[in-house]
Amino acid sequence: MGSMLGNWPSFDPHNFSQLRPSNPSNPSKLAPATYRPTHSRTIPPPDQVITTETKNILIRNFYHHTEEKMRPKRAASENLIPEHGSKQPRPSPSH
Amino acid sequence: MFKSNNVAARIFERQIRTPAPGTSVHCARQFYENLVPSFTIYDVECPDHSFRKFTDDGQYLISFSRNHQDLIVYRPTWLSYSCKEEDCNGHEPPAKAKRFESFFHQLYCVSLAASNEFICKDFFLYMESNQFGIFATSTAQIQDAPLMGGAIPGVPSIEKITFHLLRLDDGVILDEMVFHNDYVILAYNMGVFLYDDLLAVVSLRYQTIHILQIRDSGNFVNVRAIGAFCQEDDELFLNSSSQFAGNHVDPVENYQSNSDSSFLSGIKQRLLSFIFRVTWSEESDKMQRVQNLKKKFYFHFQDYVDLMISKVQFLDRHHLLIKFGGVVDGGLSRTADHHPSFFAVYNMETTEIVAFYQNAADDLYHLFEQYCDHLHATSRNSLHMNFVSSHSNNIHAQDQLKCMKNKASNTSQFVKKMLSSLPFSCQSQSPSPYFDQSLFRFDEKLISAGDRHRQLTDHPIKFISRRRHILKFKIKSGPEFGSTDGRSKKISSFLFHPFLPLALSIQQTLFLQPPVVNIHFRR
Repeated sequence: MGSMLGNWPSFDPHNFSQLRPSNPSNPSKLAPATYRPTHSRTIPPPDQVITTETKNILIRNFYHHTEEKMRPKRAASENLIPEHGSKQPRPSPSH
Repeated sequence: MFKSNNVAARIFERQIRTPAPGTSVHCARQFYENLVPSFTIYDVECPDHSFRKFTDDGQYLISFSRNHQDLIVYRPTWLSYSCKEEDCNGHEPPAKAKRFESFFHQLYCVSLAASNEFICKDFFLYMESNQFGIFATSTAQIQDAPLMGGAIPGVPSIEKITFHLLRLDDGVILDEMVFHNDYVILAYNMGVFLYDDLLAVVSLRYQTIHILQIRDSGNFVNVRAIGAFCQEDDELFLNSSSQFAGNHVDPVENYQSNSDSSFLSGIKQRLLSFIFRVTWSEESDKMQRVQNLKKKFYFHFQDYVDLMISKVQFLDRHHLLIKFGGVVDGGLSRTADHHPSFFAVYNMETTEIVAFYQNAADDLYHLFEQYCDHLHATSRNSLHMNFVSSHSNNIHAQDQLKCMKNKASNTSQFVKKMLSSLPFSCQSQSPSPYFDQSLFRFDEKLISAGDRHRQLTDHPIKFISRRRHILKFKIKSGPEFGSTDGRSKKISSFLFHPFLPLALSIQQTLFLQPPVVNIHFRR
């Protein structure tokens, strides 16, 4: 694309290719959009709706305390099993 | 923060500088350092009424007649007189100006109580949005009244308690809500709580929390009654079940008279099941679980069943903080060591208990320390109440609390003492900026934003500026030259106007002599 900067080497030739009206009241004047996100990790999901939490922080703390108390604890016997998970099955002596 | 202490310089500075974001109220309040009620008119001749308080918007002064039958409402104004001398500042105001009527203009006098009733002079709630006032009248207390309809023993009974809803603008009584043969603690609003348009009334005798809504049209509307039943249709459901089929007597009486043989009350069931589930979740091993339940739940089962609702407050429109005590003694549950009290958070919509703490719980104290403002549950309509100093929003108050905590020899006793102020009573603090701890330092034992009476002291109470550590003004209650009679006990109370530099100090002896009223204002 014919860039205003000529054919100078650039990191990404598409960087200044998008044009947007620089002034909403004057849509004919176009300028290159200068913000291009380098990744899409932080784009919000398309159906996201942001609302205010109705419970105030004190009440949230009360609920949180209760959730902590109600959370099922690990049984003592379970703690003896190591957490690695990926164990090789032992070959049986009969083989 | 202003650079200069001079009021004219501050005004010029205000013209050119915007305060930091979120601090506009604090910046405006700094002008109260310059405008202080330093002049006192002693022993003003005023009508012999008991003055209760200024409404939080400063529009009315509420007072009751000595015989506790009438309500008299005044409009606070300001004195006006002209001085034609050369040096007016040096002159005292003329004697004609030093009258009660210069500051207060009577709007109306309304009779609230019938002949055998009395207005509770320590009860007053104000709905700022509609300028409605709520007052209470009651007949005499009867000890040992016969128990009927689910009343619990040990609580006195009052034949008739009436809550009156008045439009303060013109004194028209809009509605009344009557409770018969019941007991509600009316003194200092302790048995009720007003949040926005919701009013919670704690009936100690029937162990029920009545939730009323006050409509804009000026009507009390019953929303729900929490106690025996939690959901609105619980009673219908129970009465339609086969156990009660064929009984044609009054369903409520029938249910409650059977209460010791059939079900526990709805709120008690919610509470016990919550305690069970929490105790159940504490252990994961099956054997230990049962042992834990036996030790912590079943051993204390009867104590939990015997718990009484003693005080309630709103946390928001759906959540209540309920205090349960072991013994209801004359209506006031005393937190003695052998009668521990408990706090529960109850969600009215889901009818679930959300949290449960003993009165010495450290995690509840932690929340009390950090979020005291949310515990005061100011309604959305009155923004100025958000600026009342507490240890959660003011560093000086926080320092004081930490000092007290470090000095306390027994932390568990300290925690119990602090938590005994919960649930808070509503509208018990004055929003006056003179009680703002960032502006002034004063002796909390002698005067504070709370509305309780204090012991009279002959020495003037000093208000010292925080920033400059100089005395700004003094409030002296009692006669100008000290009292000659040192023997009779005197109590003093202070009424500060919410935003004007105007305060009343009232000194009363306990022998029904007319009180001495001083007016403190900025001349």
